[in-house]
Amino acid sequence: MSKKRQGLHWQDIPLTTKVLLMVTLVTLLMFFANLILYLQVNRLTERLQQVYTSNISLTELSETLDDVHTNTYNYLLVKSSDTLESYYKSEEDYRSLLSGLNDTVTDNPVMLLEKNIRRMSESYLKETENAITYKRGRNVEKYRQSFSNAGRLYEYLNTWIDELNNRQFRNNSDSFVSLQRAVRPMAAVSTALIMVMMGVNTLMLYFMLRGIVRPLSDLATTARIVGEGNFHVKMPPTDSRDEVGVVTRTFNTMVSSLEDYMRLSRENLEKEQQMKERQLMMEASLKEAQLKYLQSQINPHFLFNSLNAGAQLAMMEDAEQTSIFVQRMADFFRYNVKKGTEDATLQEEVEAVENYIYILNVRFAGDIHFYKEIDESVLSCRVPSMILQPVVENAVTHGIRNIEWEGRIDLTVAGEDGMIRISVKDNGKGIAPEKIREILSGEDGRNEEVMPSQDSTGIGLRNVIRRLELYYEKTGLMEILSGGENQGTEVIIRIPWNT
Amino acid sequence: MKKTKRSIPVEFILMILSLALFGAFVLFVRHYYARILDAAENDSTAPYHTYSRQYEMIADSRSNTFWQAVYDRASLEAAESDAYLSLNQTGWNTDFDKLDYIDMFIAARADGIILEYNGEEGLAEKIDEAVEQGIPVVTIINDPNRTRRQSFVGVNDYQLGNAYGAEVARLADENTHNILVLSNREKELEKNQMYAQIYKAVTDAHPGQNIRVKEQNLNSRGQFDVEEAVRNIFQSAEGMPEILVCLDEVTTECAYQAMVDFNMVGEVRIIGFYTSDTILDAVQKGLIPVTIYMDADQIGTYCIEALTEYAETGRTNTYYTVDLHAMTTEDLQTAEEEELSGEVQDE
Repeated sequence: MSKKRQGLHWQDIPLTTKVLLMVTLVTLLMFFANLILYLQVNRLTERLQQVYTSNISLTELSETLDDVHTNTYNYLLVKSSDTLESYYKSEEDYRSLLSGLNDTVTDNPVMLLEKNIRRMSESYLKETENAITYKRGRNVEKYRQSFSNAGRLYEYLNTWIDELNNRQFRNNSDSFVSLQRAVRPMAAVSTALIMVMMGVNTLMLYFMLRGIVRPLSDLATTARIVGEGNFHVKMPPTDSRDEVGVVTRTFNTMVSSLEDYMRLSRENLEKEQQMKERQLMMEASLKEAQLKYLQSQINPHFLFNSLNAGAQLAMMEDAEQTSIFVQRMADFFRYNVKKGTEDATLQEEVEAVENYIYILNVRFAGDIHFYKEIDESVLSCRVPSMILQPVVENAVTHGIRNIEWEGRIDLTVAGEDGMIRISVKDNGKGIAPEKIREILSGEDGRNEEVMPSQDSTGIGLRNVIRRLELYYEKTGLMEILSGGENQGTEVIIRIPWNT
Repeated sequence: MKKTKRSIPVEFILMILSLALFGAFVLFVRHYYARILDAAENDSTAPYHTYSRQYEMIADSRSNTFWQAVYDRASLEAAESDAYLSLNQTGWNTDFDKLDYIDMFIAARADGIILEYNGEEGLAEKIDEAVEQGIPVVTIINDPNRTRRQSFVGVNDYQLGNAYGAEVARLADENTHNILVLSNREKELEKNQMYAQIYKAVTDAHPGQNIRVKEQNLNSRGQFDVEEAVRNIFQSAEGMPEILVCLDEVTTECAYQAMVDFNMVGEVRIIGFYTSDTILDAVQKGLIPVTIYMDADQIGTYCIEALTEYAETGRTNTYYTVDLHAMTTEDLQTAEEEELSGEVQDE
């Protein structure tokens, strides 16, 4: 992270490169440390060698000088081409050795001695050259003189070469001793330093690798927790672009997705559960309704068939009124039997109500004044079957039966604001508000009370309410209004207008 | 992960530490090896200064400290005029005499020779040979008159006679009858004029007194001859002179040592030459009443001046006179007192 400041994004480097960089760095450091050490030791060794080479070269110089002198002497002794050749060869050798000597005046005694040796050697070679020349010219006196001079210089030269050699040797011995003395602690300290460097480098490598591996192990721990079902833990967000960063971000995304998916599944499961429950309840209510019909099945079926026969008989006898009555009764029961398990159109419902009222009016000599006001447009709307007749039956049974005044029932069906409003209003005995509350909340035992009644179709208001709620998956669809005792009752059903 | 965030600087600290260690290692290795190589440095590898001319000074080893003083001064002067001066002394550690040295430096083609001329046989011819070969020669102390030497730096016998004469005259009293002058030179360099001057000075100071001035030339060639010769004088049957005049440093020191050894302090008065530590010590204690010395700095300066001038112009003064001084016990005591008072003032 601190690398960010340097512009180089350390976290963005791929792991392989990172590890490679670290190892390379450590290796390079160690390599250069060793290289430097090696070079220095090499230099020291060279220096040690150099200590003795100077002495060796001086010995060579001295030996070649001997050769020159001997060869000169030999030539002077026996003038032959062999000896002359030897002389020239040794002279050449000597000259080439001389060229390695210093030729400037310095305050360095060794170098000054070299210069003196060089210059004197040149004088010496001139004398030997003279001696050779005079010998060739058979100038006995002169070549003797020259050789004598050369001999003198030869001795001086030897003395100086010896002195130089001694000086060099003395110097070199001192150097050798001090070098030797210094090398031993050097080796120890260098080894110690290299070991410390190795230690630090290893530590560095360890920490760097730990820096790489730690997010991975954190990731592993978090993954284990997530694996145990806890979707709320996440890795802290990172913007590093290396593999670990990528894995971390992917992991976090995965955990979020898992969480969403689990929530959705749970919701779906709950919904399904609810639907199942509703269906079960619907079925149960229907079963209840059907059971009630089945209890009285014998009568309606037999009646329905008999009624059909009665109606035909009445027609044959030209008893028109009777025929219609019987026919309506037959229709009413047929509807009941047919629509018991399915939904029906509002039209069919209204017809069932009309049939029911007609039957009642025939039974009770037209006591019930039934008025209807129907919005034709909503009649095709499908509703649960057998919802209007029980309401009207309730209005008859608990409303206008046994009243002193003329009973009247108003059925209004109207579409408004996407809803269908069905109102069954009577001018009967009315219902006390507590009673209304009990009916709507299902606390009264009215259903059960109604059940034994001989005149009832057997379906109570409560059953209607429950079936409406199950059908439309909504509550508060039915409203009961009453002004109190003898003030009449209005039952209003509001259902969605779905075409 | 927070931990990781904290641990990252650790690796960078370690990286910096590692780099620092590496740097320290490099520095250490370089420094250490440089030190080793420095320690191993010697004449052949030490840094040096180059010069355009090479002068050689050839002197006896008899007056070690005196020649060293002359050489020190002369080499400083030489360095200033871009020349290097070496000191070559005859003596116990070399088989070469002055002739050999001149031969050598002719062969080695030196750029100038400063020679303490002592009248050695053949030396005058060698001087001429060197000059013929184009090597200028400056002689010091003694002047080989008949040579082609470029220049002479030193004192003449007249000066010397004056200086010694004055001191002898000062030291001589009514009991002084024998004065012995101890010289150490080749036969060629007779210094009769000097003895005459000493004689004249002392007889002038003590007219009518019977005073003899004798000269003894030790003419030593061997290493320990001077010491033996001086001791012989102290043990001679003739008896000791009252005043012993020494004309060089070694003779002075030998005479002084013999005087102390033979318990003759007070009986013999030594007039010394030069101001070595031993001689100065003796002068300060009053054991040697006076010592005559040449200005070594002047000699050194003039020698190089002559050689440089010759190298640059092709000619030079043929004669440089240096000053002669006498240092007495009183002089030294006065100087010491001055020094002491100077120190007191400083405090």
